[in-house]
Amino acid sequence: MEPGGSSGVGSGNSGTYTPEIAESLRFEEEIQSLIHQSFDGSSAAGGSFTALLGLPANQAVELLHHPGPGEPPASAASSSPTAGDLWRLRLGEHHAATDALRLPFGGSSTFVERAARFSVFATDDSPASSSGGGLSPGLKAEPPDSDSPPTLPAPAGRPRRPSKRKECEKSKAKAVAKKSKSAEENTSAVKPAAEENTSGDKLPYVHVRARRGQATDSHSLAERARREKINARMKLLQDLVPGCSKITGTALVLDEIINHVQSLQRQVEFLSMKLAAVNPRIDFSGLDHILSAECGPLAVGSGCGGGASGTAMWASDTAASTGGIRRMPPPQQIWHLDLVHPQQSSTVWENNGAAHPHFLLSPAISLVGYDPAGSVPLNSNQLKMEL
Amino acid sequence: MQVTEAFKHAFLKQMLLGFQASAVSTKSMGFQERKNAIKLSADVAMAVARGSRKWTRGLIAGLSEERQNRSFLRLILGEQYESLLKPCHSSWKIPRCKKIVRRSLRICWRKQKKNQSGVLARTLVEKRTQELKRLVPGGKSMDGSSLLDETLDYVLSLRAQVDLMQSLLTTFEASKLRSHSKRRLPERKASYVSK
Repeated sequence: MEPGGSSGVGSGNSGTYTPEIAESLRFEEEIQSLIHQSFDGSSAAGGSFTALLGLPANQAVELLHHPGPGEPPASAASSSPTAGDLWRLRLGEHHAATDALRLPFGGSSTFVERAARFSVFATDDSPASSSGGGLSPGLKAEPPDSDSPPTLPAPAGRPRRPSKRKECEKSKAKAVAKKSKSAEENTSAVKPAAEENTSGDKLPYVHVRARRGQATDSHSLAERARREKINARMKLLQDLVPGCSKITGTALVLDEIINHVQSLQRQVEFLSMKLAAVNPRIDFSGLDHILSAECGPLAVGSGCGGGASGTAMWASDTAASTGGIRRMPPPQQIWHLDLVHPQQSSTVWENNGAAHPHFLLSPAISLVGYDPAGSVPLNSNQLKMEL
Repeated sequence: MQVTEAFKHAFLKQMLLGFQASAVSTKSMGFQERKNAIKLSADVAMAVARGSRKWTRGLIAGLSEERQNRSFLRLILGEQYESLLKPCHSSWKIPRCKKIVRRSLRICWRKQKKNQSGVLARTLVEKRTQELKRLVPGGKSMDGSSLLDETLDYVLSLRAQVDLMQSLLTTFEASKLRSHSKRRLPERKASYVSK
């Protein structure tokens, strides 16, 4: 048909049209093949399409044969402009072809308008008015639409759509982010289908909720509950670890948490090293000395000398006083004040020979009230000098 | 939040006790030994002050694996030591019915076959959780959600530990400075007098 058609066209028309028309016919074949392929692929929107498909090629050829504008019948008007538009769609870059196609149609803009109105694939997005140039992007949007069954009315669908998408994304993020196994697959199996449907434009698509209703399955329920638990705890951890509140995604938050824990552990190592460095001058057994000196006038249990006796006393005293400390919280406040203003009386505790043993630990405890958060930064220079 | 004053007090007390105990046990100490002793007593103090938690038990179990520490631990903890060690078995598995486990695994498998999306994210998260399990003491035998619970607790007590040790350090240094200044003054006075 094609070669005969082309020869007929070539013979019947004026010279200017021949190359373009030949091109257009070739394109027509291509389009037909493409359409048939896509038609085979998408069964859903087949019906109306085939009706048009049957016509366009022949109609186009006839129109080409008779390039006068004349008023083609309505069906032709409906079919050919769509075919022309389809051509425009498939062959977006081939402007020459589109121009050539436009020419035989003459007043094509009107036909295009009618096509838009009559078209089955009309949606709210596609502007049913005016220029063909404005129409083409709208029409270009049509073939993807053809895949989805235009069952739901568009405006009703639209407010639902963003919320659905949000839910989709939320749950997808959750699903992706969590380390769960089974129900995740269930819901995430749903999501790719939903995403495909909404990939083109904001158009009505198959309800996601219908599928998600399967979550009454005990497995998925349990998984969901587990996921909620983990989510809540992750939020708590996010609040705890500094700089985590802005981060989204479980993996990154866990990264931060791991870094934080590692840094804290390293800090402990470092501080214990520093304490070990400080201590040789002070000596473990001499702890009571320091603490007493710090607390000034407070009485101290052990005597002046360090050594075994002092430590033995300390150990026994503390063992005895563990209960005693707990019973007297109020005195700590007084000692807190004393600690803030430490006094230089090293002789005081020597005078107070017989002192209460439990006071020994409470000055230490008042160190805690020394506002550890606002502690003085370590002066490494001083340390070096002392060492 | 969860770090109460009582916790801090108990912590410090235990730490000082630990210092004393370690000093009593070994008098001659090199720098490294001293540092290890300090760290050990600090960790034990943290665990004891916190009470009975999965990570505390795991911590003490981990520490007691080294023989040197055991005597120290026994000294500090007393009777609690044995009772703390028993339930914390890192290889302790929760008994599960095989049939049910197999069935749920099969379901998981089928769902995985159907759809492979989010696998990358899941593996990343899995890696992170493995590492976190390594970091948190006793984390190997922990569930995902309980792991996060324990991490929260552990981070809080680590912070308290760091704060405490820092304040201890500052007080030691301050006292050192004072003792230094005290020592120098009489020397100067003596030199004065002699001259």
